[in-house]
Amino acid sequence: MTATLEPAAVTSRPPEPDALRASLVLHDVSMVYPNGKRALVDVDLVVPRGDFVFLVGPSGAGKTTLIKLLIRDVVATTGAVLLAGQDLARLPRRQVPLIRRRIGIVFQDFKLLPTKTVRENVAFALEVTGTPRQHAAPVVERVLALVGLSGQAEQRPAQLSGGEQQRTAIARAMVHDPEIIIADEPTGNLDPLISWEILQLLLRINELGTTVLMATHNAEVVTALRRRVVALEEGRVVRDEVGGYHREY
Amino acid sequence: MLTFAAFSVRRALQGLWRNRVMSLAATVTMVLMLLLLAGLLIVLSGLQAGLSFVEQKVDVQAYLYDGVPQDRVQALIAQVEALPEVSAVTYTTKAQALADWQATLRARGQQDFTAVTGTNPIPASINVKLREPGVYGTVVDVLQADTAVVQRVDETQQVVDALITITNVLRTIGLIMLVMVGLTVLFIVVNTIRMAVMARADEIEIMRLVGASDAFIRWPFIFEGLFVGLIGAAVTLLLLGLAAGPISQFTSAIVAQVPVGFDQQLGVQLVGLVVGAGALMGGIGAWISVRSYLIR
Repeated sequence: MTATLEPAAVTSRPPEPDALRASLVLHDVSMVYPNGKRALVDVDLVVPRGDFVFLVGPSGAGKTTLIKLLIRDVVATTGAVLLAGQDLARLPRRQVPLIRRRIGIVFQDFKLLPTKTVRENVAFALEVTGTPRQHAAPVVERVLALVGLSGQAEQRPAQLSGGEQQRTAIARAMVHDPEIIIADEPTGNLDPLISWEILQLLLRINELGTTVLMATHNAEVVTALRRRVVALEEGRVVRDEVGGYHREY
Repeated sequence: MLTFAAFSVRRALQGLWRNRVMSLAATVTMVLMLLLLAGLLIVLSGLQAGLSFVEQKVDVQAYLYDGVPQDRVQALIAQVEALPEVSAVTYTTKAQALADWQATLRARGQQDFTAVTGTNPIPASINVKLREPGVYGTVVDVLQADTAVVQRVDETQQVVDALITITNVLRTIGLIMLVMVGLTVLFIVVNTIRMAVMARADEIEIMRLVGASDAFIRWPFIFEGLFVGLIGAAVTLLLLGLAAGPISQFTSAIVAQVPVGFDQQLGVQLVGLVVGAGALMGGIGAWISVRSYLIR
């Protein structure tokens, strides 16, 4: 997938070429909620395409707000958020769904539809974006194979283990062949062994070329993998380096 | 586009079925409103037909006593013809009046009791056509003055006035009732669709996250509202169709001699109005509901 810069998204101050190639750029982003709470303060962050980034920090540090900004659930008070080269603040409302198709999002609580089978849950993402069935079917089978759930395609979420449910959610996030996967505490509800399984899957997806941003509290995983770690505290980026969950001196 | 339509329709029907108690309530009130609307149209158009029928009929009609000598009658006719307001005077004999009456009965398919009794209860009459409708002058007075000949004088204007009054009163009462029932229907449709939206809150959240456009999120609910309206319209038309025969007889019994019936034009108007009003109420109700809920 190539990131194309649409004319509408050109800002008065053109972003640097690096920013255009990046999956994700935050420049001087601050977020103040109407109640006066400052959730993010002057956040700068560049995530190049194909990167794997852990987003860590205590509860209330601003991780959730950051993720909401990325899926344009909220718009930054100041600063620019660029996703796949598009400035989210300047994006016309009608184009918001289009940018969301370039983001695969995975949650701690899976957000699967209990009345639908695994296959239907995955296909739902294509169905509601207007993909004709005959085009959707092969894509669904492919992502189910990718997450290793081809055999459980006809089961409903309640019949699955937590890990399998999360893999279903990851499959759903992958159907649009997204630029970036944003995972918000994807292992938060899973036991350690299953957590590793999910992480292996995300790493595999990352190896296939998709950028991955994973917010997590799981220190063990972060420390063991030695990938890029962005730490937030009280709305600020306090650390951005390859390493463990806690700062290593 | 086809995918979108199929998706919306399927989701709408699913929604109706899942939330069937509320859907049923909405449909029933919808039927009630549409019946009221159709009833109003039928009655008003019946009165309108009566009105124009009466207006084009002779302007003044004097019914005569039986057995009045012909020369007295002719004298009265000559006297009336001489009046400046009168354009034409015709005389209908008892036999002719009976024949007309029997023809009307046959046309309506009703039984002719006059044949059974063997007598003729219909009076002879003098029919006066005015030069200008409504300008009576002394016509009525002249006719009524001859109390030996004239039994009773009918002025069409009285009938016309009465009909206009009835039409206006009915229209006003009908419209007020219609607005009240209409608001109730709207309220119930809005609530039905809101419940449908709430039942799908999880799905809507997921749809937003995976990049479903607003149309995909909203239109299924609009369709759901439209279906409530259209199903209501279909039920209403079915009920009207079943009731058409009895109502037709009933109205022609009330407005005797007036050719009120379910002619084709009224039928087309009714179908259009019922289907249109149903779809409109359903669509608007759903739209209000979806708009206020999915404001983001």
